[in-house]
Amino acid sequence: MIRQQVLLTEQMRTYAGFASLLIAWELLARFAFGQLYILSPPTAIVMRIIEDLPLYTRALGATVSEALLGFVLGNLAAIVLAVLVVTIPPIERLAQAIALVVFCLPLVATGPILRVIYGPGWGPQITLAALSVYYTTFVPLVVGLRAVPPSWLDLIASYGRGRLTAMTVVRARACLPYLIASLKIAAPAAFLGAIVGEFTGADRGIGVLSIQAMRSLDVDGTWALATIASAVAIIGYALVGWAGQLLSIGAPPSLLVSPASKAPKVLWKKLFMAVAAPILSCVVILLLWQVFMDGLELSRFFAKRPGDVWAYLVAGSQAAAHRSELFAALRETMGTTVLGYLAGLGLGAVLAAVFCMLPAVEKIASPVAIALRSIPIVATAPLLVLVLGRGQLGMLGIVAIMIFFPTLVSCLHGLRQTPGQVIDYFDSYQAPPLTQLFLARVPAMLPSLFAAARMAVPMAVLAATVAEWLATGTGIGNLMALTSSTSNYNMLWSCVTILTLVSVAGYALVAMLERRVLSHFAPEQVI
Amino acid sequence: MKFPPITRRATLGLLAGGAASLVAPARFASAQTNSAVNFQLSWLPSVQFGGSYLAEEIGVWAEKGLDVSLLSGGPNAPVEPSVMAGTSLLGITAADYASAAVAEGATFKIIAVAMQKNPFAIASLPGNPVNSPADLVGKKIGMAVANTPILAALCALNDVDINEIEIVPTQYDPAPLVSGQVDCLLCWLTDLPIAMTMAGVDNVTMLLADHGYAVHSQTYIVTEDALANQRDEIVALMAGEIAGWNAYFADTEAAADLVVAKFPDLGLDLETQKVQAAKQVDLMVSPLTEEFGFGWFTDETVADNIATLGLLGREVSADLWDRSILEEIYG
Repeated sequence: MIRQQVLLTEQMRTYAGFASLLIAWELLARFAFGQLYILSPPTAIVMRIIEDLPLYTRALGATVSEALLGFVLGNLAAIVLAVLVVTIPPIERLAQAIALVVFCLPLVATGPILRVIYGPGWGPQITLAALSVYYTTFVPLVVGLRAVPPSWLDLIASYGRGRLTAMTVVRARACLPYLIASLKIAAPAAFLGAIVGEFTGADRGIGVLSIQAMRSLDVDGTWALATIASAVAIIGYALVGWAGQLLSIGAPPSLLVSPASKAPKVLWKKLFMAVAAPILSCVVILLLWQVFMDGLELSRFFAKRPGDVWAYLVAGSQAAAHRSELFAALRETMGTTVLGYLAGLGLGAVLAAVFCMLPAVEKIASPVAIALRSIPIVATAPLLVLVLGRGQLGMLGIVAIMIFFPTLVSCLHGLRQTPGQVIDYFDSYQAPPLTQLFLARVPAMLPSLFAAARMAVPMAVLAATVAEWLATGTGIGNLMALTSSTSNYNMLWSCVTILTLVSVAGYALVAMLERRVLSHFAPEQVI
Repeated sequence: MKFPPITRRATLGLLAGGAASLVAPARFASAQTNSAVNFQLSWLPSVQFGGSYLAEEIGVWAEKGLDVSLLSGGPNAPVEPSVMAGTSLLGITAADYASAAVAEGATFKIIAVAMQKNPFAIASLPGNPVNSPADLVGKKIGMAVANTPILAALCALNDVDINEIEIVPTQYDPAPLVSGQVDCLLCWLTDLPIAMTMAGVDNVTMLLADHGYAVHSQTYIVTEDALANQRDEIVALMAGEIAGWNAYFADTEAAADLVVAKFPDLGLDLETQKVQAAKQVDLMVSPLTEEFGFGWFTDETVADNIATLGLLGREVSADLWDRSILEEIYG
């Protein structure tokens, strides 16, 4: 009886939290932002959704179908790739590099190419939805497939079984919690990818309606669409979570691994990993680039080959001028991107800790967190810009928001992976919650945090370029937007190349840090 | 909101539909052999392309043995790659974009000009109006940074120092003006100002074309290769297009009705479309088109364009324009 009452009051507190948020929003929209045509009150949004329900339902049908197909295809690709990487470790470097490079390609460059390849139809929308999910699934999945006690693998080996048995019997089950966590992130991301795909020329869908609403000063319409987009994202997130609960009835196996003393690597192997492997990856990627474009006979006018970029940036007569223009823009971008990246990571990790300590806060705040991530950036950017200004702060905010949500989900999951025995041990000493957090949970969270930190590198770069294109009009994002409107595709592909190199370098830096830290806290992740 | 239940049949249907759409490009690739052609529009469907939708509706293209697909554009769907790659036979873009593409190696010809007057305008509020280029001094203007050369050309044409104007990067959205973040906006006469009017916000517009800015807009481009090898199809396509636009000028309200009915999934507002349809006529009809017909241009208008494009930093030759298709049609 008392327990029920406690539950009841907790529920009421959650509802009260929601209600007060909505009321604050209504008041803010009606009075503070009344005549600004930027924020709509919830009542007006609900009225608009009811009024235009048939229209929105049809648009939603199109966009959800695109997103669903992209979600399935992108995640399947990620699963296949992750299984390959873990089964055949030598290909990991190359696979990681290719996966990263494809994820780094900016939409302004790929959009027109996808449209030319597919012609009219759903092709670009589905592809962009798939592209926006595969990487965030691939990276944690590799972590998950490795989150296995070495003794279990030893057991498999002692029975004379090979990697296949290890994969199906041990790794496949160990990775499930990681898979579910990444599919949760993938659900809103696929929807956002489909919306962005509609910007490459579509006749229906939520993305198309959003553009129409924004251009016609239809603020209620814009916010109605943003609300629908968030609702879909939250439902997708919740559905995956629910499916995960159904599947993993037993708790995931706990990991208690003592730092194994590894045999020192042979010198030539070290040299190979440090020098030859990156060079090999570069060569393969350049070859793929050339072969892909030649194979599809893409016009050299807009589909520039590696040789074109080389001539434009290095060999050509104007190369120095081109380089200085590009690097000036890049410098402008990088400062804010790094700050936004750190802010987003920090915010995600801290919020995860807060949620873990105070589950009541999580109930109120997590829908807001999902919504922030899933509302198309074109809808939120004006509001962010109004609040934070058009300068670097606005851009920093956009970058931080784009990466904080995946970090939050990943870290939350990591915090909950803390082995039960460890928690029992702390409990038996009546360790205060904060001690438990810092000494038990945070170390358990580290693999997830680093996986998120790595994924966040390309995401931060992408978010920064989008913010520059839409809001600040500075840096390399703006340069890319300018070049595509003046058909300067040489500069566009040069920007793409340099940005990719920057992302890969940032990624490598985080990975290096990760090796250092994890070889102490989670040695099973370090190969 | 009520969602349909997820059944196995529905899921399979969805997957099959998606798979079908993935293989769809093959259909368009093979369609090149018969008389099916793609026509790449520059933006999302609206009365901006009312004449093209009318041409399709009244069946002029079908009569000429053409199966025309009108491809919609969007914020990230540039026209030039589509035409250059041969995906589309015909595309709509503006003279400045076309000349920039040519400078980068494209082989385009402008074969007709839909908007005789460039649609770029400066919109402001009546309390703080911009009625002439001189009024821009000391103002904050909201615009896409990509459009800076346009403002620079206007300033050069009217002896205004561009450094005395503060450029604020905005999206293509009227909200920054209405909310007072900027004093004026660089936009098309036919969309944001109409959107503001329909939302009950009075506004003042100044058309750049009335102050010396001569750049043909909504121009029809084809590649040199297509002009040589697919001439008959281009003539038929343009003849149908002209018939469509003449039907449009005869009854702009009917064109608005058609577009709204044809694209129920776009949420277009009929009244807004009617106002836009009527306002657009002023940009497309001139003494020149009254005399020679829709799409016409002369050596003089081309020379004016070359002069303005020069101010935009583009060296353009008169060869970019090719009137032979129009001459053949109007013959």
